[in-house]
Amino acid sequence: MTPAGQRVRTNWDGLRRVIGAALLCSMPVFAAAYTVTLNPAAPLTVYLQVGVGSFTAIYNNGGQPGNNTTVNTVSVTVPAGVVGNGTAQAMTTNSTATVSFVDGFAFCSVPGQVYIGGFYRTAGGATAAAQVVATVPAALTDSTGDTIPFSKIRWASSGNGDTGTEVFPSGTFVNGGVQNVGSMASNSWNESCWSFSYLNNTVPPAGTFTGRVRYTLSAP
Amino acid sequence: MTGRRGTIVPAFFLACLLSIIWAPAAPAKTTIIDDSGTQSLEPSVSMHWKSATPSRSAPDTMMVGSTTIRVRINVMPWLHRAGRIYLSLPAQQPGPITASWVTQGRFSPGLVHSGSRMLVYSGPISTPFMEDVLKFQFNVDGTLIRRAVPVSFHFEMDED
Repeated sequence: MTPAGQRVRTNWDGLRRVIGAALLCSMPVFAAAYTVTLNPAAPLTVYLQVGVGSFTAIYNNGGQPGNNTTVNTVSVTVPAGVVGNGTAQAMTTNSTATVSFVDGFAFCSVPGQVYIGGFYRTAGGATAAAQVVATVPAALTDSTGDTIPFSKIRWASSGNGDTGTEVFPSGTFVNGGVQNVGSMASNSWNESCWSFSYLNNTVPPAGTFTGRVRYTLSAP
Repeated sequence: MTGRRGTIVPAFFLACLLSIIWAPAAPAKTTIIDDSGTQSLEPSVSMHWKSATPSRSAPDTMMVGSTTIRVRINVMPWLHRAGRIYLSLPAQQPGPITASWVTQGRFSPGLVHSGSRMLVYSGPISTPFMEDVLKFQFNVDGTLIRRAVPVSFHFEMDED
């Protein structure tokens, strides 16, 4: 009896192993899901254009931004008979930039307006706006050292088809220093057209007065 | 006895008939497939702006990135049976993600949004492993990914 009983138990053990192996074979292996890493590669991009700029084509047609080293001017010649009479004199520019590089829309008019626009791109959550500042000398100077304060020049902001507040609002230069002239919300295109004028409310010596203002975009 | 039998038998057939008519369809069994043989040529997906320049009208924050993945899934448990294989992209951080892919023909190309799945194969399972090379493109809102983020997906089998 004993051998037979052992044999029976042994057979059951073997059957259990077979069943267990069969179950294991039939059960799928639950591998971990496949994982890739999404890595924002150098997402910070800035573009500022004051006057003429460079795009390979209109952006909506696949254009890409580029560098442009041109320094544009705005100028006015005040007739002798009206010097200092308080009537502002409109300035004109040598900039030829009229269309927006976003879509080719004729946004500004020359020679009366200077285009200013750009964007900054950044990944991540809400970020502070990028700031555009003007670094302004104390005065315009002529060849003999005479000066006209930069605060005698102002600009009015607009744009064809624009309504509401301009991204780069109207203003007047400071007499030397760095002044904010506008800000850009992230990941959007920002642009305005500036019409400069000379206040003409003092009588400076006759001469040609010049000065250079540098515009800088600073992204957070 | 005969009379009682006569009343029972029709009732039995009626019960069978009802059970056939009203039996609910058995839900397909879904199982995650072993994809441990899958390899990525570039496990880190470099994400770029979909548009180099944002639009004037509204913020434009979509980023895209591509990677090629050599998929190898173990379908041995379903060998010589029929099944439907899905690519599943679970809802996960950093938020809504879209993945699209093209294949070399073993699987179907497709597109899936996070939180859903897409059929990539339906038919008989005739080999222990199924392989294909998938070129993925991921789309995600750039405002959600200031830093690198892992994104997981898997394949799953529906068997009837």
